[in-house]
Amino acid sequence: MATVAKVWIEEDCITCDACQDILPEVFEVTDDTSQIKAEVREDGSFDRNTGFSAIKAEFRSEFSELIEEAADACPVEIIKFEYEAGAAAEVEEVAPAAEEAVAPAAVAAVAGADDGVLAPVMSGDRSLAIFFGSQTGNAAGLAEKTAKMAVNYGLEPTVIDMDGYNPADFSAHKRVLIITSTWGEGEMPDNADALWNATVASNPPLSNTHFSVCAIGDTSYDEFCKAGLDWDEKFKALGATCIEDIKLCDVDFEPPWLEWAPLALSKIACVDSSGTFHEDLLEAMIAYGAGDEEEADVGDFTPGKVEQDIISITMRIFRYNPALAESGYDTVAVALPGHASIEDALVAVKREVDGSLTFRSGSIAGQDPLTGVKANGRILPADTTRICDLVSDGDTLSIEPIPGYDVIKDLMVSYDRYDSERANSKPWLEADPRQGEKLISGAAMGVMTSADATMLHTLADVGSLQLVNSMSDTYDVDDEYAGPGIALQRWVRTQDPRSGAKHVKKMFELMQRKGGVWDEADISSIQRHGIDGSQAADALYEARARLLAEYKFTGRSGRLVKNYSRSVKMSGNVNETTLYRSVLGPLGLGSNIMNGVSLRMMLGFTRNGGPIMRGFQGMLVPPAGIGKIPNMFNGKVANHHEVVAIFNELDSRF
Amino acid sequence: MVKYSYYPGNVARQSSFEVEDTIQPLCKTLGIKLVEIVGYNSDGGNIIKQGNKDLQLALNARNIALAEKNGHPIITACASAQGILHDALETFRTDPIALASANTVLSKTSGMTATADEITTNHLLHVLVDEIGLDKVEDAVINPLNMDVACYYGPHMQKKGACGGDDPWNPTYMEQLIKALGGRPVEYKSKTSSVGNPSLLSLGDSVMKMTARVLNDAKRAGAQLIVSACTLSHANLDSYQGKAGRVANMDTNIPAVNLTEIIAFALGHFPDRFAQLKTRAMIIGS
Repeated sequence: MATVAKVWIEEDCITCDACQDILPEVFEVTDDTSQIKAEVREDGSFDRNTGFSAIKAEFRSEFSELIEEAADACPVEIIKFEYEAGAAAEVEEVAPAAEEAVAPAAVAAVAGADDGVLAPVMSGDRSLAIFFGSQTGNAAGLAEKTAKMAVNYGLEPTVIDMDGYNPADFSAHKRVLIITSTWGEGEMPDNADALWNATVASNPPLSNTHFSVCAIGDTSYDEFCKAGLDWDEKFKALGATCIEDIKLCDVDFEPPWLEWAPLALSKIACVDSSGTFHEDLLEAMIAYGAGDEEEADVGDFTPGKVEQDIISITMRIFRYNPALAESGYDTVAVALPGHASIEDALVAVKREVDGSLTFRSGSIAGQDPLTGVKANGRILPADTTRICDLVSDGDTLSIEPIPGYDVIKDLMVSYDRYDSERANSKPWLEADPRQGEKLISGAAMGVMTSADATMLHTLADVGSLQLVNSMSDTYDVDDEYAGPGIALQRWVRTQDPRSGAKHVKKMFELMQRKGGVWDEADISSIQRHGIDGSQAADALYEARARLLAEYKFTGRSGRLVKNYSRSVKMSGNVNETTLYRSVLGPLGLGSNIMNGVSLRMMLGFTRNGGPIMRGFQGMLVPPAGIGKIPNMFNGKVANHHEVVAIFNELDSRF
Repeated sequence: MVKYSYYPGNVARQSSFEVEDTIQPLCKTLGIKLVEIVGYNSDGGNIIKQGNKDLQLALNARNIALAEKNGHPIITACASAQGILHDALETFRTDPIALASANTVLSKTSGMTATADEITTNHLLHVLVDEIGLDKVEDAVINPLNMDVACYYGPHMQKKGACGGDDPWNPTYMEQLIKALGGRPVEYKSKTSSVGNPSLLSLGDSVMKMTARVLNDAKRAGAQLIVSACTLSHANLDSYQGKAGRVANMDTNIPAVNLTEIIAFALGHFPDRFAQLKTRAMIIGS
């Protein structure tokens, strides 16, 4: 007969005391509900046990029958329990006697159909400890990535620095992964040395722990991956169960880590909260981790679906070989979960198809500002953009390096241009008076009102300023243009109440001169790139308005805005004739003549097959001069006085 | 007969009168009644916005209020005008303070107010595909294009909500339309890139390079002709294509026409102009 491993109370208990009468050692009825006593639970809590803590092993066989009886007796059927029964645990309502005869495997099949085949391992404690021993940060980075991946397997990972860890606490973890590099001639990295020595000295028992090790090393050293091998051997010696063989990684450690991590995680995710490994669930867990299987949440609130169905797409990936100066596209057919990121897809291609594919991968939690790619025409961060948001099953996903920057190899670009512009313009805080003193108002440096802080945060709240530069269609044709990302930073500094007057003046000068905000030929090309683009576009418009006021509409850009506005005020519509003349001036018009622009207009190229005499009008009738030849004089729109009044109401400068 | 309030944009009744010449007959053929927005004004071209964004919003509020009086959705043949009107409507719908401010000025100066709640703004392209139907367009073709055509959308209306049911990032509506008109659309990668028209008069080389990039992409893709859905950008693509080619050192010679022209030609209007265009495209080149 199967024994009950877990019992819990659902909502809507009527506090009839029936369960407490049958089994007071397990059930206690309070004012509101029946609860599961702390003494019999592994987590030692006293509540309805909606966290699905297991019943302590010593009580299971003793109380199983009575738990079933209590559940049977519950008039509102809210006592739920789960059988231990090896791999065939099941969520069961009231346990009818007939079901005791059902073979465990058959029960599991029924459970899989109704409640999720992974239910036996998905409830209760799902913690995973990921220890890293790291000298240069590589192992720490892999630990973070492993933790991100672990969530896909229903685990709750914690990344633990070995430095300062007490070996006696190892035994508290049922699931452990160790990722460590080897330093020098087979030594532990600095942050792992003390823990290793303490572990060797104390030999903590680890009989209830499952573990696996990923070791990073360098085959050119005699003691390749020795630190990892030492931990592997030691954990085995202390009684821990190795759930996946140690993976030894050479200097190109990512590909082997990528082989190890999904295997180790899917296996360790099959360890239930009591520390039992459910090997028969491994296949289902692998599918679950890959996004093939859905696990519905139980309860009143069902969160949005994170996992998406597998989609088959064709990836068209830009390749550039700097050694041969050759470029082209690789086409690869891939099938991935829709929720996979662009970076995930690239990693898969690198792992499965071509290890030489080069791109920037995210190394931090959240969006890494440097992982940008151009995906189907959009400038996007590869590490946080889901494939399903870009393409559907059967579509093609074209991945290219972001424009505006030199390509180093394949999809990897150099951000030197951005860094150099930023360093030159210093768009960071420079306050008056110098730091360490107080402002004239008496406030300490760095203090500002919450309204100012919010305004500044809102202004600068973009994921990647490097990518904002790439959103501009002007940036990659104008080498002197600092880009909208830099412009945004300069604008923010001018709005920062802490900035010194001298620094603000410098920022305005930089925005006004060559390379500044007027070098952006079309803000619309930035604005359409989502929230970040829209944010930067708004800042550019605001900066331009401010600069026009500061510099009195000087320069061609200033003249364009002033004369465009005035011509609209005068007639209700733009008069291009006067606009060309007033903005370009005699030299500009002369240039148009020399470059054939005027000739093309006059000969009717602009108006295919149109009356050629229309073009000659401009030559003959003053004051049009030579240029694009519309009507000489604009007729005024109906109720033109309304347009004039709007101008007078809102901007008397025109 | 479907009715739309017609907003010509900034240049269709100025330097680009070929758009005005052709949109009227093509709409008549396809059963679209263009209702004049009496007294419409410039939308500001995103130029006035650089000096005073509230002023540009108020000018657009006036156009919207006039169109609301007509009682029909707005149609335009210029991608820039469509983008600007769409942005203004979005602003008014999401920012009640902006709408209230614009209406305060509008009410004071004209006695009108805009509600901006139900009215929509549409580019002719999206009306033809989403509302009229390409089958109806195809049925009305008299002179099939029979040319390799590159479609230029520009960036201004390529954003969610501004381009009908088309994909903002990989639009195909114009290609579908060209097919319906008996042409052969060619794919090229810069069809939604900017040619820098807002800075045509104020910036030099970079605008020419942006223009040359689009023209050269289209040529290299095998196009005999480039069709622009943006009346403003057409000035770059056509009048400035020689200068652009010289500045960027690229081959840019290709006939460039407005979308309204090519539709009207295929529907049998201005057969003499169409003949000249075909001659240029097939024999002279530009």
